[in-house]
Amino acid sequence: MELFALSLFGLIILLIAVYGYKISAKTAEDYMLAGRGIGIIVMFFFVLFAISSAWTFYGYPGFLYLHGPCYVYFVWGCVAGFAALYMFLGPRLWAIARLNRFLSPVEALSERYESKPLRLVLAVILLAFIVPYIGIQPIGVGLGFQALTGISPIVGILYTTILLIFIVLLGGMRITAWVNVLLGIIYATAFFGSLIWIVSKLFPGGLSEAASIIAIKRPELLTAPGPKGYFTSVTIGGALIVGLLALSWPHIVISTMTAQDKSIFKWIPLLTFVAGGLLFYSIPFIWGSIVAPAVSHMDGTLVLPVVGKAADNIVQTIITKHLPGWFSTFVLMGVIAAAISTAAVQLMTAAILISRDLIHGFFKPGAKDEQLIKWTKVAVIGIIIFSLGIALWNPVALALYLTRVAVPGFAQWAPALVGGILWKRGTKQGALTGAIAGTVYLIAGFIHPPLVFGLGNPLIPTLIVNVILYIIVSLLTPPPSKQVERRFFDEVDEFLSQ
Amino acid sequence: MREIIKHRPGKIFLFVLAISIIGMLYVTKYFTKPILFFGWMTLPFVCGVIFILIWLVAYLIYFFKYWPYR
Repeated sequence: MELFALSLFGLIILLIAVYGYKISAKTAEDYMLAGRGIGIIVMFFFVLFAISSAWTFYGYPGFLYLHGPCYVYFVWGCVAGFAALYMFLGPRLWAIARLNRFLSPVEALSERYESKPLRLVLAVILLAFIVPYIGIQPIGVGLGFQALTGISPIVGILYTTILLIFIVLLGGMRITAWVNVLLGIIYATAFFGSLIWIVSKLFPGGLSEAASIIAIKRPELLTAPGPKGYFTSVTIGGALIVGLLALSWPHIVISTMTAQDKSIFKWIPLLTFVAGGLLFYSIPFIWGSIVAPAVSHMDGTLVLPVVGKAADNIVQTIITKHLPGWFSTFVLMGVIAAAISTAAVQLMTAAILISRDLIHGFFKPGAKDEQLIKWTKVAVIGIIIFSLGIALWNPVALALYLTRVAVPGFAQWAPALVGGILWKRGTKQGALTGAIAGTVYLIAGFIHPPLVFGLGNPLIPTLIVNVILYIIVSLLTPPPSKQVERRFFDEVDEFLSQ
Repeated sequence: MREIIKHRPGKIFLFVLAISIIGMLYVTKYFTKPILFFGWMTLPFVCGVIFILIWLVAYLIYFFKYWPYR
């Protein structure tokens, strides 16, 4: 039954990918940026479910389950960060890319700063932090497969990987966005439905009853600093700031370049705040901070408390133990949907960085569209194999990888990105110095944590160094040319004012 | 964002957002208290909901009434 349903689900996704291949225009712009034609509804699903990965189902509730409710600050920061991207940076980046036919945000910045070395540096930094995160998604699904069916995680990993490859190879960015609508609906329905069902089945008094169980058995799970003393005021505030830096996640930044018109930037924040922040992201919070701990600590529980990385699977385990098999399968489809919807966008973004910014930018500048598409597809295969290898070689908890490694890494291009779009005085020397110094400091902090003052998250000190160097070096070096000022500021202002 | 800081409504909009972030950082010192709203909503959750509502209202007013590119 489970295998039949999962096969049917996979087949439907493959058919959508094949359909996307048939209708695509076969140009690089169409393949990489969906022909710059994504409208408001598809854009909303595209972005929300590019963000909502397997982390939302496994890592986030798992961390709340272990450490109490304060981790929600990271998500509040993310919601504000994504909205800020669309309110503050998106319109200008979209206009810059549209006016100049840029296919990658790194390409846009390299032209803005008139620096090919910057293109290399930013592409390498982003690839270094995005590629391992892609591999974590199929592995998360593999563990879900194992929890539901008892089958080896390898089957789930292969299943997800094959779907991912087909979606991206056949459909490119357009089908990745379209598939996210279907996947997002499945994910949200499964996630919300399982929450409602479990609460009505196990807690007739509703969420208040669940919270009262925790208040009696483990009251430290309802307050700071949490059972293990993890959340001080500094770490909670840090989580908010780390979340705000979501505006620099490359796979979300690139989505702004696919927008059909500038009205997208007026409407997406509304959907982000209401449908994303207040509704969708409340589901994993309630699951991880109230329902899952209450289930584990209620009398006669079927799901005993877990610790460490096992907490990543707590929601799946509760569903499997308490709800019918067919619904558990549906929930697993939701998780697969979440993993694929994020990993496909990340995979597409990483492949564009390789084909457009590295190969086209440095080795084959005169390449035609067909070659560019071919390299992107080859890059997709290479990236997925490489990322799976890294994730299997060094398995880490989902929550920790996202907040402690990937996000601090993505943040290292934020000063160059924000400054390049908004600040006329930002120079290539400033952007290069800040990005290189911030990244080197970040890596040094991973190796020797006292260098980042033993903070659980190295983002803040490394970003401060990056920003200070960017500003000081920019002010000490000659300003960008008048041509840059006209092309990236004056013309953009005129275009957006029309 | 360049267009936002060029006029008074935009500056007020950004000021409100900045104040809300500072407020979010300030209230963390109360999170050690075991307060539940409606029987289950913990303080970090409630503060975040208020934070998002502030951003939402500020955004609606600014982007639909004052944003130069609307």
